[in-house]
Amino acid sequence: MEDVVLHYQPGSAAGLSSLIERTEKLLEPFPYRTPPVFTPWFPTTTIDCRLPIRPAKPAPVVTYSGDLFFSDNRPQTPRTATETNKWQEPKVGANVTYKHHDNPGSDTRTSPEKRQKSKDAVCISETSNHLLPASPRNKPERRVTGLSCGKQQQKDCPIKRSWSIFTHRGVLLQNSQSLSKQFRHMVFTHRLHLRQRAKWVISEDNCEGARDIEQVWQTLSRSVQRTRLPTCNANIQRERAEIWVFCDVLYSEQVGRFLKDELHLSGRISLSIHRLGNILSL
Amino acid sequence: MTTLTRQDLNFGQVVADILCEFLEVAIHLILYVREVYPSGIFQKRKKYNVPVQMSCHPELNQYIQDTLHCVKPLIEKNDAEKVVVVIMDKEHHPVERFVFEISQPPLLSISSDTLLSHVEQLLRAFILKISVCDAVLNNNPPGCSFAVLVHTRDAATRNMEKVQVIKDFPWIVADEQEVHMQEPRLIPLKTMTSDLVKMQLYVEERAQKT
Repeated sequence: MEDVVLHYQPGSAAGLSSLIERTEKLLEPFPYRTPPVFTPWFPTTTIDCRLPIRPAKPAPVVTYSGDLFFSDNRPQTPRTATETNKWQEPKVGANVTYKHHDNPGSDTRTSPEKRQKSKDAVCISETSNHLLPASPRNKPERRVTGLSCGKQQQKDCPIKRSWSIFTHRGVLLQNSQSLSKQFRHMVFTHRLHLRQRAKWVISEDNCEGARDIEQVWQTLSRSVQRTRLPTCNANIQRERAEIWVFCDVLYSEQVGRFLKDELHLSGRISLSIHRLGNILSL
Repeated sequence: MTTLTRQDLNFGQVVADILCEFLEVAIHLILYVREVYPSGIFQKRKKYNVPVQMSCHPELNQYIQDTLHCVKPLIEKNDAEKVVVVIMDKEHHPVERFVFEISQPPLLSISSDTLLSHVEQLLRAFILKISVCDAVLNNNPPGCSFAVLVHTRDAATRNMEKVQVIKDFPWIVADEQEVHMQEPRLIPLKTMTSDLVKMQLYVEERAQKT
């Protein structure tokens, strides 16, 4: 602070001391207090604010084994050493997705040749709904067959596929001339497109006798794999005890006859079209 | 040049459509290039006029689609700051993080840069960079998995409702161990600036992967 000059009247020397005292008081710094640090009632620096969000469901796991791809995203408790050995066995009763490509491949990783080879492979995936997050505790369960038992497993192991896809290998396209008169009339009446998808439904009642629906499903899957059912993909609905076979309208009659004859189905099977419902029974 | 706000032309929706389409392609390609999934489940396709690899595994495709379907409303409202594809090892510790940092301008200027063809060219460059990124990254350990994390501009919990658009596809706040990486190495891959969106892609790679 710079010097302060006090002017006073010379005649009042008595009041000088009180004047100086008052001036000093006035020049004293103003008292002040430090305001407390502001803390909001809601947390501002919690970890939650900075953490991202993610889907609770973990990504599916697909494992390559020989010419088979297995995938599963079900939660599992941590495995012990003995359980790890069991892990190599295929699961009984799981829903398995099956996709067939032309040629079986041998390896998956790194080199372009290997990549190309493995593209021609069979894909099997187990599916299940669950909502647990991915963490070491909730590791997705992976059931992988050994390399050696790849194809053998398709025959022997009770893997239950939930759908099958037809490949176009070696199939000659039919033309609409092969449709029966009655069916062609129906196609015309309902103004159906020949490439529109239709669905044959095989129920448990159609599988009477010694065979149950699972056996019918296995036979059907083999037929689909062997490309005997053109444009078909099939799906087993275990909750409903039904097999749904999807195909193009163009082939639906042919497929229906094949199903009846080859699978030895009893009773009538029905063909339905989206929105129209059942349009044909065999 | 005309200037419009985000509300005009449903600008946010346009950007979200473009970005989600791009992210879908990018995620598939990352999973292929980084060998998170067996290459046998991928097929070659063409997108942005360049070859890309896309999964043909229905379960995986559905998962990616569901994830992006939920992310879309966040991008639409400009609430998503980063979309991160995290590749994790068997112990669920991140080994690589592909970070797509997104920023949208508050005002849209209509110019030749806004043309979608121009944006596509920029996105194509991202795709090409991703397809060759394995040259600058170390190999991942076997048995990796992935997750998509979304960093929001606001507190994560405030955006939970926005992403719950699919009934059976809930979202949660990520674990800290999924986010933090030990000694990360930063590899910038690509950046783009357009009138519609600004985006940069970089990879955080863990120094010791095994």
